[in-house]
Amino acid sequence: MTLHPLSSSDAAPSLRPQQARPDTAAAYDSTWTEQSDARPPEGLERVMLPDGKIYVVLAVVLIIWIGVVTMLFRTDRRIDALERRLDQDIPEDPA
Amino acid sequence: MDWLAGAWAVFRNDLRIELRTRYALNALLLFALGALLLILFAVGPQPIPTRVQSAFLWMVILFAAAVGLGRSFVAEERQGTALLLRLNTRPSMVFAGKLLFNLVLVGSLGGVSTGALLLLLDVSVARPGLLATALGMGVLGLAVATTLLGALVARAARRGALLPVLLLPLLTPLLVSSVSATQKAIQGLPWTEAQDELLTLVGFVGATLSAATLLFDYVWAD
Amino acid sequence: MYRSVRALVVALLSGALVAGFLGQIPQLDILEQSARNLYFHVPMWFALMMGTVISAYHSFRYLQSGDRLRDIRAREAAWLALLFGLLGIVTGMVWARFTWYVGSGKWWNFDPKQSMAAVLLLIYGGYFVLRDSVEDPDTRGRVAAVYNLFAVVTMPFLLYILPRQLPSLHPGGEGSPAFTQTDLAPAMRWVFYPSVLGFLGLFWVLYTQRVRLSWIRKRLRREPEL
Repeated sequence: MTLHPLSSSDAAPSLRPQQARPDTAAAYDSTWTEQSDARPPEGLERVMLPDGKIYVVLAVVLIIWIGVVTMLFRTDRRIDALERRLDQDIPEDPA
Repeated sequence: MDWLAGAWAVFRNDLRIELRTRYALNALLLFALGALLLILFAVGPQPIPTRVQSAFLWMVILFAAAVGLGRSFVAEERQGTALLLRLNTRPSMVFAGKLLFNLVLVGSLGGVSTGALLLLLDVSVARPGLLATALGMGVLGLAVATTLLGALVARAARRGALLPVLLLPLLTPLLVSSVSATQKAIQGLPWTEAQDELLTLVGFVGATLSAATLLFDYVWAD
Repeated sequence: MYRSVRALVVALLSGALVAGFLGQIPQLDILEQSARNLYFHVPMWFALMMGTVISAYHSFRYLQSGDRLRDIRAREAAWLALLFGLLGIVTGMVWARFTWYVGSGKWWNFDPKQSMAAVLLLIYGGYFVLRDSVEDPDTRGRVAAVYNLFAVVTMPFLLYILPRQLPSLHPGGEGSPAFTQTDLAPAMRWVFYPSVLGFLGLFWVLYTQRVRLSWIRKRLRREPEL
């Protein structure tokens, strides 16, 4: 409660509205309104938007798949290094 | 009482060494002032929005602290006085003393850079109390984080740019909240408007301070 | 245990993939079919959370016990958290690019949740830089554990408190970090929860693999000297 001891007479929150931090999502969606543009989609949009944007889902799944495969390859490299180390350490091992 | 005396002794010792050379303080202040001037030159003589003003202020304080602080632990490790400190004092005393010393450094850094910015840009602060609170909380959080991370970095063999790398992402919540609170103070919004920011700052400082107090033992012990 | 979890993961994820593409979803305006991404993008963040929690827990236990295995566990969990966080950010970028920012060509628009997730990844990046900068393994473990725990203390601010205070397009401003229960159509729950479970299991399988591997490597490095 001690944080706001000032009475409401001081309250002038919107003196300089043009400088206030935007408190709505409006600051982030300046581009939304352009959606009604009738321009034909080009480039990436042409690839991704048809069929209800299903290709976005495909891209996301592909990215995750690539991530998991990268992980797999890194594990593989580690196993290689371990095998080399084993060969160095016990070259005369009969087994 | 004994604990207080120990912490005070650590603080006094650091302060004495610092006052003899004034190396850390001078470097810190010159860095901050230089960076501030350079930014303002680069921006040019156009009017700057309050959001950008407060962002400049906090970026300068943060970067100056990240570059300039954390020296004291490194110096201890290098001169071997760390061992002496470890034998004679408990870790929490060392932490309190170093925290106090860093607080003095960051405090003067914050005060001087704020003064310089306000003077150079000819800003009149509508709510000095709010500005001082935001500055104080920000400085406290900064000092806590630099004390603990400075002790961590002192244990590392390859230091280089390690402290800024560790410090800057951790202090993002602090930066966002203090910039927002500072902006509101310059604009003269009432305290209730800055309630979110201040509560976040208080929570952040409280959380980091208690975590740092608990964790410092493990960094310091051998 | 490990084998059965592995089999379960394969089954759950295969099921989630099939059901995710073929199942019924409500028709929404901007999202359209890309709402199916919910099954794949959101579990990344669940896995990240699991990684941070596991990593912090083992860091804590390492400080208590000094057991080297705890340090390895903490490191591997943090590594996987980094991986899943990266996947979460990239998939989120792609998703947002073709829904919220469609027509603008923007990949990155500083949505608070996005930015804070990026900062979280920077923190874990710092964790690995710190690890690499310390030579002595005992000191390295302790320093890394302290940094990890200190970072975990600041994470609630990053992930829960700050994003609430800033304007965002990302759903779930009031309730849970990612979405509210009411956002989720009942038909989607039957795919979403198994998918989350599957990815958490995947995290666990990868994590166990890497810990076992690191442990073997550490033992191999040790033994010739003894």
